[in-house]
Amino acid sequence: MIDILSYGFFFLTVALTYGIICLGLNVQWGQTGLFNVGIAGFVAIGAYVSALLTTPASTSHIGGLGLPIAAGWIGAALATALATFLIGALTIRLRSDYLAIATFGAAVAIQLCVLNLQPVTGGPFGIGFIPRPFAGLARQPFLFGAVNLAIIAAVVVVLYLGLERLASSPWGRALKAIREDEAAATALGKSAVRFRLQAFALGGAIMGLAGAAQAHFIGFIAPDNYQPTLTFQVWAMLIVGGSGNNRGAILGSVVVWGIWALSAVAISAVVPADAQARAASLQIVMIGVALCAILLWRPRGLIGEARVASRHILRPSVARRSSNSSSEH
Amino acid sequence: MTSSPDAPTVLSAHGLFSGYERDLPIVRGVDLAVRQGEFLLLLGPNGAGKSTLVKTIAGLVPVHSGTIDLQGADLTSTHAHERLRRGLAFVPQTENVFTTLSIHENLLVAAQILPRAERSRRIGALYQMFPDLERLKALRAGQLSGGQRQMLAVARALIVEPAVLILDEPSAGLAPKVVSEVFARLREINATGVTTVLVEQNVKAALAIADRAIVLVEGQVRLEGVARELAQGPELGALFLGAQGRRREARA
Amino acid sequence: MTPQVLVDGVIAGSMIGLGAIGITLTYSILRFANFAHGEFISWGAYFALAIAAALGSLAGGNVPSLGPFSFGWTLPVALVLAVGLTAGLALVVDALLFGPLRQRGSAVIILVMASFGASLALRNMIEFVFTSSPRYFSTDLQIAQPLGGGMRATPDQLLTVGVAIVLVVGLHLLLTRTAIGRSMRAVSENRQLASLAGIDARKVIRTVWMLGAGLACVAGVMSGLVVQVRPEMGLDLLLPLFAAAILGGIGSVPGAMLAGLIVGLAESSAVALFGAEWRSAVAFVILVAILLLRPSGLFGRHE
Repeated sequence: MIDILSYGFFFLTVALTYGIICLGLNVQWGQTGLFNVGIAGFVAIGAYVSALLTTPASTSHIGGLGLPIAAGWIGAALATALATFLIGALTIRLRSDYLAIATFGAAVAIQLCVLNLQPVTGGPFGIGFIPRPFAGLARQPFLFGAVNLAIIAAVVVVLYLGLERLASSPWGRALKAIREDEAAATALGKSAVRFRLQAFALGGAIMGLAGAAQAHFIGFIAPDNYQPTLTFQVWAMLIVGGSGNNRGAILGSVVVWGIWALSAVAISAVVPADAQARAASLQIVMIGVALCAILLWRPRGLIGEARVASRHILRPSVARRSSNSSSEH
Repeated sequence: MTSSPDAPTVLSAHGLFSGYERDLPIVRGVDLAVRQGEFLLLLGPNGAGKSTLVKTIAGLVPVHSGTIDLQGADLTSTHAHERLRRGLAFVPQTENVFTTLSIHENLLVAAQILPRAERSRRIGALYQMFPDLERLKALRAGQLSGGQRQMLAVARALIVEPAVLILDEPSAGLAPKVVSEVFARLREINATGVTTVLVEQNVKAALAIADRAIVLVEGQVRLEGVARELAQGPELGALFLGAQGRRREARA
Repeated sequence: MTPQVLVDGVIAGSMIGLGAIGITLTYSILRFANFAHGEFISWGAYFALAIAAALGSLAGGNVPSLGPFSFGWTLPVALVLAVGLTAGLALVVDALLFGPLRQRGSAVIILVMASFGASLALRNMIEFVFTSSPRYFSTDLQIAQPLGGGMRATPDQLLTVGVAIVLVVGLHLLLTRTAIGRSMRAVSENRQLASLAGIDARKVIRTVWMLGAGLACVAGVMSGLVVQVRPEMGLDLLLPLFAAAILGGIGSVPGAMLAGLIVGLAESSAVALFGAEWRSAVAFVILVAILLLRPSGLFGRHE
């Protein structure tokens, strides 16, 4: 019984770290309509920055400042905010899919840096001995798991409340206006760009925080953790939950992570050991197909946005027509 | 006058409702019959649905209910590109030439639906009709003046020898002198037997070249008559002013 | 830096160029960045690999090499068939996914996201069917021949450059001199006006998918021939392809090819200067530079 509960704590802890990434993505996509394909890269920045700030001094890489965990998490959020801000500043004025291409490129470049800057990041070996919160309790797995879950749940609750408040603040309403109504965006002009940029960086900061949290719960990070598959998983979570909806983002991450974990268990139970790598790729095929199927058949997701459902997804023609253009430029 | 009141109907619409959104029809129950060879003018205050009506006929705006017939064939559910093959040519108000293609290429694109042997003959015939275009044929259409663009757009539409030519405000944005040239050209084209439907804001000048006019208000036909008589009668002015007056009230 | 950097850059660049043409064509007609394009490269290579292997075993196993090249007659035949299959794959993906989304008038970014999902599914499908271990079209070792000026290249490498040049010239003529080419340019500028001019946009879209996927297949086979065939080969090329398509100016075929060569040369220079592990960063640096300096690209029109 205790085992199952401990596993449940662990499962939820991991799922909720994804939930945090998802909340960050929801600020960028759900509330602002900015498409980020580089999630894995931004999460990696958070994880590595926090690891470098908090690990004890090491001979295998520089850094290791041994700061408190909280300092690492704040540093992670700030560093990732800066990175997303720079990418956003580069592309946010351009066509919407240039941001997608640029973030995709950023993730490739970040992954490459993490892999090759061995003196800083430990290269392919990654960074170990990342301090875990309440490490003193590690001998009591049940309590340790419960405390960890409590911390991450607290972070999720604080973020959720903060983001909900933000969404109904003047800032959030301006964002919504920019997203829903091209004319409002044009009327706001320069400040529309600034609003979007702020939202993009805020989302990035949350992703960086999530990366840091993950790193501290697992205790070890390596470049392989930050493959494009991570980006896909987070997208699937947000789309399943319903973009524009913070509760949906959290629910989606628990549901998708649950399906993911269950199918992994099923594969390891059913498929013979030598074919498991192949079966695992089928698991990813499934996520890709599911993402497409939801876009095709249920674009609002499981919950969807509460009030005016994501109009920019369902009825883009409205915005196009109100800009008084007869062609499809 | 190229058409008589008893000429056969070439294009017609019955009980037409259309608009971009299902719950928001802009054209609201229009019946329309265009006679063979006539020059029909579509008038109406701003926002009356004239443009939407001709775009619906051209296949650019979804039909909610009702039918569109061309020479006895039902066009209602055909694609825009299919309607040109059936003999219905439409010149939109803006962005009506391919600016990145040369003038000659613009005509070649339009001629593609003709049999191979016909193409150069038709392009040649149009160059004869519009010598300016032949002179500039290697130029990119984006470099043309407003009036030249309208001429190219009309030539592009005429390549296929359409049964009906529909134009959406060809005078928009043109200098008055150019407008009268364009109108004279349209009159000439109509005289060669091409049934013409013209949407215009330029009421006076357009009434002078049209045979018959239909006035649309709030998506419905309010008035129909011989162009010359409408130009002299009081009803037209009353309809325009009335619509404007109502709008002013609504705003206040 | 040695003159060899030039040869390596041109070889890599011709493959990037072919792939980038596909990206630029689909982008200019369908108006979205297709993240699944890289998977057409991988699928093309694997299709050719499977067909060549099947033909080889039908022919009794030992197919003699053609002239100075490392492969026998089975590969050219397999390439032609694979081009057809890859084009078919693109049409199927469009019919199942992009077509319905387009019909519904979905926003650009939804199409981008769908392409993202499609790329994930397609790539891992390859891993499932063919496993992730690298494959080769030929086990023959080729010796690089001196080209003069201290440069060397294998016959296979020179062939890939030659094929790329022929394809680009052919495609350029197709776009500028033929009816379907004019239709493509017309649809790319203004789809609504094109339909009023009697062009069936659906036919143009089908043509674009077939051309783009066909060229991707050729790029994949070429890359497989001079490097290796791996499930991630398309994903790894995606960033250089986007960089080249944007650098060349969206919609410009000569631009995409030239930009592909520039990206290829930049990559080979970076490899010589900083080491092979930094190769993939080059495309990102170029991408950032274009977006900063000239987002419309070298030959693009301003939007």
